[in-house]
Amino acid sequence: MKKRNELEKIMFHPTGTDLKPYEWMISATPQQEWIDKKGIFLLLAFFFTEIGAGLYFISLFYQYRTGLILGWLISLILGGGVHVLYLGNPFRAWRMLMKPQTSELSRGMWIIGIFAVAGFVQIVTSNFGPVFNVIMGILSLLIISHGFMTMNVIRALAAWSSTMVIPLSIISGVWIGCQMFQFMLAVSGNQMAQSFEIWSQILLIVYFVCVLLYIWGTYHASETAEKSISLMLKGDLAKYFYGGVVLIGFMLPLLITLKMWDGDINAGLIFLRLALIFAGDIAMRYIIMKSAMYQPLI
Amino acid sequence: MARWGMVIDVKRCIACWSCTISCKEEHFLPPNVFWNRVLIGEAGKFPTSRKLIYPVLCNHCADAACVDACPTGATYKREDGIVAVDYDKCVGCRACLISCPYQQRTYYDEEKKNAEYFPGQGKTEYEKIGEKLYPFTCGTVMKCNFCTERIEEGLEKGLTPGTDDEASPACVIACPVGARIFGDLDDSESEISRLIMEKNGKQLHPEFGTEPAVYYID
Ligand code: SF4
Ligand code: SF4
Repeated sequence: MKKRNELEKIMFHPTGTDLKPYEWMISATPQQEWIDKKGIFLLLAFFFTEIGAGLYFISLFYQYRTGLILGWLISLILGGGVHVLYLGNPFRAWRMLMKPQTSELSRGMWIIGIFAVAGFVQIVTSNFGPVFNVIMGILSLLIISHGFMTMNVIRALAAWSSTMVIPLSIISGVWIGCQMFQFMLAVSGNQMAQSFEIWSQILLIVYFVCVLLYIWGTYHASETAEKSISLMLKGDLAKYFYGGVVLIGFMLPLLITLKMWDGDINAGLIFLRLALIFAGDIAMRYIIMKSAMYQPLI
Repeated sequence: MARWGMVIDVKRCIACWSCTISCKEEHFLPPNVFWNRVLIGEAGKFPTSRKLIYPVLCNHCADAACVDACPTGATYKREDGIVAVDYDKCVGCRACLISCPYQQRTYYDEEKKNAEYFPGQGKTEYEKIGEKLYPFTCGTVMKCNFCTERIEEGLEKGLTPGTDDEASPACVIACPVGARIFGDLDDSESEISRLIMEKNGKQLHPEFGTEPAVYYID
C-alpha cells in the first residue's frame, strides 16, 4: 500500500498532493506558478520594485536626492535582480522587450528600462524641472502598479482582475514609500519628519480602506473570486490575513501612529512602524497571489 | 491554409485514458506532465446528478490568452491555427501558463527533467531514447502541439490530417471509440465543421473570449 501511494504521488499531480489527473480543474483550482517554490521570487520582485518606486515618487515632491537614489536602487537592483532570479532562462531576459503590443509584462519591462535611464539622468543632473518631474512621477506610478497590473490583465484569475487591484497597489507603494521617506528624514534629524506625520496618518487609513474595498469588490465579482476571498478570510490563508494584514499591517502601526498623535515622533517608533507595514504588505501580497483560483473546466 | 481543430464527442468517451497515454508516448512526456487529460466530474444534485467525462487538451485558441501574455514571442500562433512554443526564445516567465484559463501548460524544470518513471532505478532505455528524439529545454514552458510533427510529415506525404492516421494526432488515432475527430475548421465540408454545425458544438469557457479550436458535442 505504501509503495502504491508513493507511486501515485510520483505519477500523478505535479505538486505531489492527493489530487489525481482526473480530479484536476474540476473544482476551483488555485494558481501555484506565481507563488509556490520559485514563484515566491516574483512576490518579492514586485514588492521591491514597487516600494522602491514609491520612495522615488515621494522623494520627487521634496527633491530629496538620497531618497531618489535609494528608491532607484531598491527598484532596479533588488526588484530587477529578484525578477531575473525567477526566470527559467535569465540570460534571455532581454527578449521580454519584444512584445509590448500585447504583453503587459513586456510593457512593464519597457517602463522599468525607461525609468532606469531617466531616473539615472535625474539623479546625476539634479534636474527637477516641472516637465521632468511629471514624467518621472508618471513613470514611478506605472512601476508601482506594474506587478498588480500584470496580474490584473489575467482574466482567467478572477481575484486578480478585480477593479480594486490597481488602486490598492498604488496606495500600497505610495504608503510604504512614504514611510521609508519619513524614516530617512527622522534619522537624519530633518524637522520635516514631524510635519510629514499627517501623511502617514492619512495613508494608513486609506491603505486599510483599500484592502477592505478589494475584499468587498472581489467577493462580489464572481463565484470563483468569492471562493478566493473565503480562502483568505476563513480558509488556510486566514492566519496570514488576520495575523499579517490586520494585526501586523494595520492594528500595530495604528497603535504606533496614535502614540505619536500629539506630534511627538521618534525615529525608533517610525522604524518599528515601517518594519510592521513591510511585513503586513508582504502578507497582503502573499494572500492575494496565493488565493487566486481558476474556474473549474467542467 | 487549413485551421486545425478538434471535436470531442463526450457521449462516446468511456474514460479509458488511451489519449492521455498515447500522448505521453508520442512526446515522451516525463512523469507529472500531461498534455492530454480526461476529467471526471459531476453535474446536478442527487438524485438527478450525472457523471461528466471531459477529455481536455490545449484548445489552440484563435485568440489565445497565452500568445497575448507572452512577452518574448516564444508562444506564437502559426498560420494553421496551432499555438506553438519556440523553446529557444522562451525565457521561462510563465506568463502564458498563468494566463491560460484552461491550465494547459507545464513548466519544464530540472525536477521534471530528472524525474524517473521508476524512481531510484534510473531512466529506462525508452526514457533515454525520448530525451534524444524529443528534447525539451529546461526553464521553458511546454504544452500540447496537436502533434505538429505528425501533421507536417503527413502533409509532406500528401496525406490528410484527420482522415489519414499517419497524419493525425496520436490521441485521435488511439481513441478506441472514435470520440475525437480532427480536421480543418475553415473547410465547411470537413467532418468536424459538419459536426459542430449539426450537433451545436460547444467550446469550454467561451466567456474568456479565447475562441478555442476544440469543440465538445454530446
Ligand atoms: S488552451 Fe491555453 S495554452 Fe492552449 S492556446 Fe488556449 S490559452 Fe493557449
Ligand atoms: S514562459 Fe516562455 S512561452 Fe511562456 S510567456 Fe514566458 S517567454 Fe513566453
